[in-house]
Amino acid sequence: MGRYHFVFPRWSNLLLPGALVVGAVTPLYVVLVVAYGFSPKTTDVGYEPAQPVPFSHALHAGELGMDCRYCHNTVERAAKAAIPPTQTCMNCHTQIHKDSPQIAPLLESYQSGNPIAWNRVHDLPDFAFFDHSAHVTRGVSCVSCHGRIDRMEVVYQHEPLSMGWCLECHRNPDEALRDPALVTDLGWTFEGTAEEAAAEQARWKELHQINPSQDCSTCHR
Amino acid sequence: MPKFFVYLGLTVIVLAMLPPALIARARTRNTDARRIHYIQDMDNQPKYRAQHANPIFADGRAMRPPVEGTISRTADVDAGHRGRGVVGGAWATTLPPELPMTMERLERGQERYEIYCTMCHGVAGYGDGIINKRANELMNNPAIGNGTAWVQPKNIHEPEIREQPVGQIFNSITNGIRNMSGYGAQIPVDDRWAIAAYVKALQRSQSARMEDVPPSRRGSLPVIDLMPAEEE
Ligand code: HEC
Ligand code: HEC
Ligand code: HEC
Ligand code: HEC
Ligand code: HEC
Repeated sequence: MGRYHFVFPRWSNLLLPGALVVGAVTPLYVVLVVAYGFSPKTTDVGYEPAQPVPFSHALHAGELGMDCRYCHNTVERAAKAAIPPTQTCMNCHTQIHKDSPQIAPLLESYQSGNPIAWNRVHDLPDFAFFDHSAHVTRGVSCVSCHGRIDRMEVVYQHEPLSMGWCLECHRNPDEALRDPALVTDLGWTFEGTAEEAAAEQARWKELHQINPSQDCSTCHR
Repeated sequence: MPKFFVYLGLTVIVLAMLPPALIARARTRNTDARRIHYIQDMDNQPKYRAQHANPIFADGRAMRPPVEGTISRTADVDAGHRGRGVVGGAWATTLPPELPMTMERLERGQERYEIYCTMCHGVAGYGDGIINKRANELMNNPAIGNGTAWVQPKNIHEPEIREQPVGQIFNSITNGIRNMSGYGAQIPVDDRWAIAAYVKALQRSQSARMEDVPPSRRGSLPVIDLMPAEEE
């Protein structure tokens, strides 16, 4: 009626398809960012704190072939896999590399009696209960939960250690099983075909009645 | 289209690419940065667990070492045969009565020997373990040795050690001897006896003759050469 009409500019024809595209992409985007961003694989895996002494598992456990239990000697008996006291290092380092600056903090701790403040790498929330001996003596190797420690210069978290991850194995532990005498041999694999290994693991599970519990009270007590 | 919308759209797209980029970075790299816990719940409760730090104490330990002159009620104290390897003032020549000699104990001893002893003493006990090898290399090369001063671990097949009673070997493991530190704190007492028993078996094995083997088993013995190769 009036002389002035509002004329939508030509580009406004793009608005509807544009809005559709944005509307379709945004939820997908949000879902993906939340799924990946909040996953413990993003937030937890790969945590590699610097340590006060440049202690190398790749050297001691890998190259020199020391057994994990030499240092983590409570791992088969207790819930905790104790971090070794300075005395354990001094079994060798009173003689080996004794003037090295890298060993100096060890000597200092040895003489003063104060422990070395190693930084914790793996740390479950305080409301979750975990027990090393229950796993190690049943034939679950360190490698299933810690990765190839014997190749790490600095220890880092290799697995998510989330509840879903624990349960994945508790529901189907077969693949993680081996003879408990071999748990600290991180590079060990079954000889033979995959079927033979699976049969052997199933037999092992049957023989030792390995049946990890999925009750909440197993891990939340 | 007004330039404004174009810039806005481009900015949004660029910003939207940031989170995936950060996520990709976090998933592919190891970092020293603290773990991210979006929801803290009761992850870190005001209590101390084993080997945690407690700033209240000067040495920072939450686990308190026992007061000097005291002993834990649950400590495994045994001042007799099992605890000290002594019977009637002399080194025990047998295992303690509560730990009878069995094949399982010897096998346990072998396993423990290979965890705690082989690195220095070698698989067969000749004092030729990998640490000995490495330490000698370091000692002979002061440029990389950082003051390494190494005494070769004892060859357990030397005559005076072969003659030692099992109780004395147990004592050396427990309290250390000369350059070797004691393993009393590192290895539980029953395992130390198992190792001592295995060491005795290892010593005998190196001078074993066919007559020592029961006739019924002679045919089935595997032939293994454990003697180390002669070195210059
Ligand atoms: C020479 C002694 C020694 C040996 C052998 C050894 N470790 Fe360790 N380990 C340590 C010390 C010391 C630390 C603490 C410093 C660090 O994290 O690097 C440690 C830390 C760790 C941690 C991280 C603990 C945490 O803070 O969460 C894991 C996991 C571990 N070791 C596994 C192993 C495994 C598996 C083996 C056998 C392949 C092994 N270790 C052999 C001394 C040793
Ligand atoms: C069984 C003997 C043994 C034990 C126990 C041991 N180490 Fe070592 N360590 C060695 C040897 C051998 C080397 C030297 C390897 C080389 O340089 O080729 C070494 C090297 C090192 C170095 C590098 C020194 C340098 O200047 O290059 C550090 C640091 C170290 N060890 C820390 C530790 C700590 C910490 C512990 C205790 C958790 C420990 N070691 C326990 C045998 C041992
Ligand atoms: C079933 C999985 C699993 C296996 C198998 C396992 N660990 Fe662990 N380990 C963990 C978890 C989970 C933690 C963190 C515990 C906590 O925070 O309370 C841990 C912590 C540790 C620590 C730090 C000290 C502690 O106890 O909190 C060391 C050291 C360690 N592990 C060594 C080992 C060694 C050595 C082996 C093999 C002999 C081994 N672990 C086998 C899951 C495992
Ligand atoms: C790779 C496989 C595997 C993973 C991963 C694993 N477990 Fe287990 N868990 C086992 C097996 C096998 C047993 C032994 C079951 C048995 O003895 O019948 C076990 C037993 C246990 C027990 C002892 C149950 C009892 O009866 O005392 C606890 C507690 C436990 N797991 C907690 C955890 C927690 C917490 C995690 C995650 C941080 C975890 N486990 C991850 C395989 C696994
Ligand atoms: C195999 C061991 C295991 C079992 C069984 C288990 N949990 Fe967990 N749960 C864990 C671990 C480990 C965590 C810590 C994971 C993390 O956040 O790092 C956890 C975390 C949780 C949390 C906290 C989640 C959060 O937001 O941080 C809740 C709630 C929980 N569990 C409930 C349960 C209930 C209910 C059950 C029984 C249906 C159960 N759990 C069984 C190991 C277990």
